[in-house]
Amino acid sequence: MSISRSRFSGLLARVCLPLSLLGGVSQASGAVPEIELIIKDHLFFPATIEIPARQKVRVRIINQDPSPEEFESFELNREKLVVGYGEVVIFIGPLEPGEYPFFGEFYPKTAQGVVIAK
Amino acid sequence: MFLNAVVLVLQEILEAALLLSVMLVFTRLFHLVWQQNFLLRDSWVYYGIVLGGLGAGIYAQLTPQISSWFDYVGQEVVNAGIHVVTLSLLTVLTFVAPLSHLDAKPYARSRLVSLCMIGIVLLSIVRECSEIMQYMGGIASQPDNFTPVLFGGIIGAGIGVSTGILLFYGIVNLQTRVAFRSALILLCLIAGNMAAQVAMLLNQADWLPYTPVVWNSSNLIPETSVFGHLLYALIGYEATPSLLQVCFYAAGIVLVGVSPLFRRIWSDKPKPMVQYAS
Repeated sequence: MSISRSRFSGLLARVCLPLSLLGGVSQASGAVPEIELIIKDHLFFPATIEIPARQKVRVRIINQDPSPEEFESFELNREKLVVGYGEVVIFIGPLEPGEYPFFGEFYPKTAQGVVIAK
Repeated sequence: MFLNAVVLVLQEILEAALLLSVMLVFTRLFHLVWQQNFLLRDSWVYYGIVLGGLGAGIYAQLTPQISSWFDYVGQEVVNAGIHVVTLSLLTVLTFVAPLSHLDAKPYARSRLVSLCMIGIVLLSIVRECSEIMQYMGGIASQPDNFTPVLFGGIIGAGIGVSTGILLFYGIVNLQTRVAFRSALILLCLIAGNMAAQVAMLLNQADWLPYTPVVWNSSNLIPETSVFGHLLYALIGYEATPSLLQVCFYAAGIVLVGVSPLFRRIWSDKPKPMVQYAS
């Protein structure tokens, strides 16, 4: 799995080099700060996430509910299903300073939160 | 819960229904233009829907395992892969289908066209319906939500399918040339949308680099508005698209839209191998 991924990444890097020069090259995943976001009783914990502005962040979403949830944010341009008792990772940013709300698409009334880039 | 279920199911069904409608429009137009020389059977659509439903069930079952692949970004990679295969099939379809009437063996090409259409509809249903299955499956475990979500889902699916049917009859009743062009333009937009989603998914997984946001139209048409939702389902509207998404969108349009142009250039050169008495 890791061999195929690195080969694919290598190919992507070559294809996307001109684009990456415009936007900043991806860092190695080890150097990216990680934040944990828990879903429990159809709520996000913590509901407010503070991250450094203009820096890529890895968000590990852990669903402690038996039902699935979908992390969604129009402002962050992100959408991802998290199965019941499941765990996923998404990358966000680099973001300009500001507030970026997110919600759970399956339980939008309760599952709400915001990313604050400072 | 009821309204949420309507919107969620409608959003997913609409994308698959639009693609299915455009495929059915092409089938009808091919029959109209080339009649018995184009041996495309209508039954392809049933194969596509049934196999797509089965595939969606399997995909929904496998989602927990897929999620943990590639350091927990497996969903993005698999979904992007599905989009890439669909885009390839769309390209093959728009390139091969119109040539069929020039071919000495139209049957072979018709079969390829059918297979492409089955594949396109199948993959589209797998993608969109597996999420509905996840949602419904999760809600079914909570008896209080079951009835409103079930009815909401049925209404959402009903609106989505009705929109597809309206679109089909709306286009098919146009003058053949206009109908063909309209369907092709829609197909280009669908392809652009798909390609842009590939860029978003792979960036979310950190397999593609960050690129700056090109514009911000969230004040003009917010993605949260009804119009924004509709535009998202129709043409993949994003209020804050990244440069990579815009580039991929354009590439998707070119990929599918340019194939018929090539066909025009090429088909001018070789003489038809079969003469039809018209």
